[in-house]
Amino acid sequence: MGATSRRGFLKLAGLGAVSAAIGPRPASAQAKALTFLHESSFIKTFDEYFQKMLAPAYEKETGVKVNYELTSVGSLPTRISTITETGSGADVTMIFQLYPFLFDEKLFDVSDIAEEAGKKQGGWYDVAKEAGIVNGKWKTVPFSNIGQLMNWRTDWFAEVGVKKFPDTWEELYDVGKKLKANEHPFGFELGHGFGDNHGWLYPLLWSFGAHEVEPDGKTVVIDSDETARAIDFAHKFFRDTMLDDVLGWTDVSNNKAWYAEQISCTNNAESILWLAKRDFPEIAKVTDQAQNPAGPKGRFHLMSAISHSIFSFTPDQEAARAFLRWLMDEKQLGGWYASADTYYQPLLHAYDNAPMWQVEPRNIPYRDALATAHLPGWPAPPNRQLAESVAKYVIVDMFAKACAGAATKDVIKNAEAQLKEIYRPA
Amino acid sequence: MTIRSESIARLARPTRRAAPLGAWLDRESVFSWLMMAPPLLFLAAFVGYPFFYGILLSLQDRPVAHPGTFVGLKNFATNFRDALFWRVAFNTFLYTAIATLLKMVGGLALALAMNQQFPLKNLVRALLLLPFIVPTVLSTVAWMWILDPAFSVLNWFLIALGVPKPGPSWLGNPILAMASIIVINTWRGLPFYGITLLAGLQTVPPELYEAATIDGASGWQRFRYVTLPLLKPIILIVTLFSVIFTFADFQLVYVLTHGGPQNATQLFATYAFDVAMGAGQLGLGASIALAMFPALALLIVVLTLYLRRG
Repeated sequence: MGATSRRGFLKLAGLGAVSAAIGPRPASAQAKALTFLHESSFIKTFDEYFQKMLAPAYEKETGVKVNYELTSVGSLPTRISTITETGSGADVTMIFQLYPFLFDEKLFDVSDIAEEAGKKQGGWYDVAKEAGIVNGKWKTVPFSNIGQLMNWRTDWFAEVGVKKFPDTWEELYDVGKKLKANEHPFGFELGHGFGDNHGWLYPLLWSFGAHEVEPDGKTVVIDSDETARAIDFAHKFFRDTMLDDVLGWTDVSNNKAWYAEQISCTNNAESILWLAKRDFPEIAKVTDQAQNPAGPKGRFHLMSAISHSIFSFTPDQEAARAFLRWLMDEKQLGGWYASADTYYQPLLHAYDNAPMWQVEPRNIPYRDALATAHLPGWPAPPNRQLAESVAKYVIVDMFAKACAGAATKDVIKNAEAQLKEIYRPA
Repeated sequence: MTIRSESIARLARPTRRAAPLGAWLDRESVFSWLMMAPPLLFLAAFVGYPFFYGILLSLQDRPVAHPGTFVGLKNFATNFRDALFWRVAFNTFLYTAIATLLKMVGGLALALAMNQQFPLKNLVRALLLLPFIVPTVLSTVAWMWILDPAFSVLNWFLIALGVPKPGPSWLGNPILAMASIIVINTWRGLPFYGITLLAGLQTVPPELYEAATIDGASGWQRFRYVTLPLLKPIILIVTLFSVIFTFADFQLVYVLTHGGPQNATQLFATYAFDVAMGAGQLGLGASIALAMFPALALLIVVLTLYLRRG
């Protein structure tokens, strides 16, 4: 390369770099805007309702444009982690499960908004307070629960003489044995999904009177007779009623198996019935939903709470608070809930008898389950150790290993060792 | 032809002296570093910085969205005591060793086959690259259907051959699940080996094969004494890359099994992600991810020394 052309190249490269750094000419002053981060919903009409109805309505009312940013299912914790670490990316966010407790220092106190919504709309379910209050303050305004309940095939249950969903785990087990013999086994996830595994395993554990850690948040008590009884039940339940493949299932697996008519009962959100009505109407006709069975110590459900929080580094706190307050008004909430056919079960009592429950009465058990729902790890308080236990699938794998053939006492010892390490004092 | 006086004058005119900066930039040593600067800066920003920041994180108790506290090697000690960490280490080494061996042997066989002359050779070579270029998540979703007993074409064949319904539980049985991810990784990585070794095969001078044939060497002897020694450096380089990619594999396991059943397919990358992003423990997650480094660094050093010696 000659000296002249080499210098010429460098000049060109330099000019290009400077042009890129300057960038396009700034646009004229932009309208006020805020970013509302949400995980993409399984129910498409829910996201569409916000995009087409709520966001334009808010902009018309206030002049503030709301960018509804959707992130793929399962990626919200990663997205929120990135945003909190960099201090930018969104103003208001959806948040769920134990994450308000993990990110609490980066979330504004929204007690005024939450308490106002509670006062105006019939009061909060107790479980909403469990999900939203961190160290005495509402760090998130609860939006809904996504319940995990029993989905069952009424036609196949009727073939073995069962017209009403069994009330207890033992009764369900007896029915399951008959159904498996009829080539209509059960399918309950025992793999590393996010919701459909915890959705029945935590309630099963609680219904036998067992739990991981005491309410003091540090004493590990998983090694108990109650835990052993729960595990022994799960083992026979898996062995005598289910498909072997459930040991490797993730959250999509039971939905696929349902629509392929491989299974007669599973634990899932309302999405199975919702999609069946749209794409598999014949299966929808014979699908029903019921609360979890009761064990010796009661009936329980998993709380998968969805809430909304404001990031503490949002440049316009007042705009974000005004938006969240507006969103939590009955005028907005009612329509948004209804767009998803009660897939999102409201945590305010004002909606207990809302017309949306009559659109599909088979969804009513999801509302009734709120009274017995708890966050994973209950009755221990949500904290980072609990989040670590859930992320490491301690309870799920304890049950799964037993179902796969490991001795009950061994799997309990293993889980106890893991939990003791997780809860080890610093 | 008339030589114009202006042309002669131009030729005779002494060249203008280059400005000092221009002269300095013209020097080979300066210009070559200038050209290397952008990729080096890119590597420093997107590889070097995250690596050193990862080391810093691993030495802290660092919950997400909270400030970190220096704890020295405490996270590594926690991992040392964690039975699940050792299970993950075992899984990762097993997965990498078997998948790499299969890819090496299979890739060499593929390259030898592709080196022959047959109709539509170029089209077949292009098609063979497909598993490697299709995005991992997409191909994994396809495999999810292949391995689901309810929909599996594999199980359909096996049942037709007499295996009792519903056939093997590929992702529900811990051993079959590990075998499944090894097979899928091998399927994905074979084209990389095959195409690279094929390129290497085509640099082997045909005269060497002719000479060997004249000397009475069999097919196997030609492969062993001509092909293999000349291909060895390429095999080692490709193996090095393959081991690094396979050791740090994430997408395949995350989509297919998420480490299940019962952590039978949990690898370093997926476990580190669960701890860092799922549990919000960035320091502990970084220490798990860094556990890959010593093994990979040792491998790179050993292979590099071996290559140099060769």
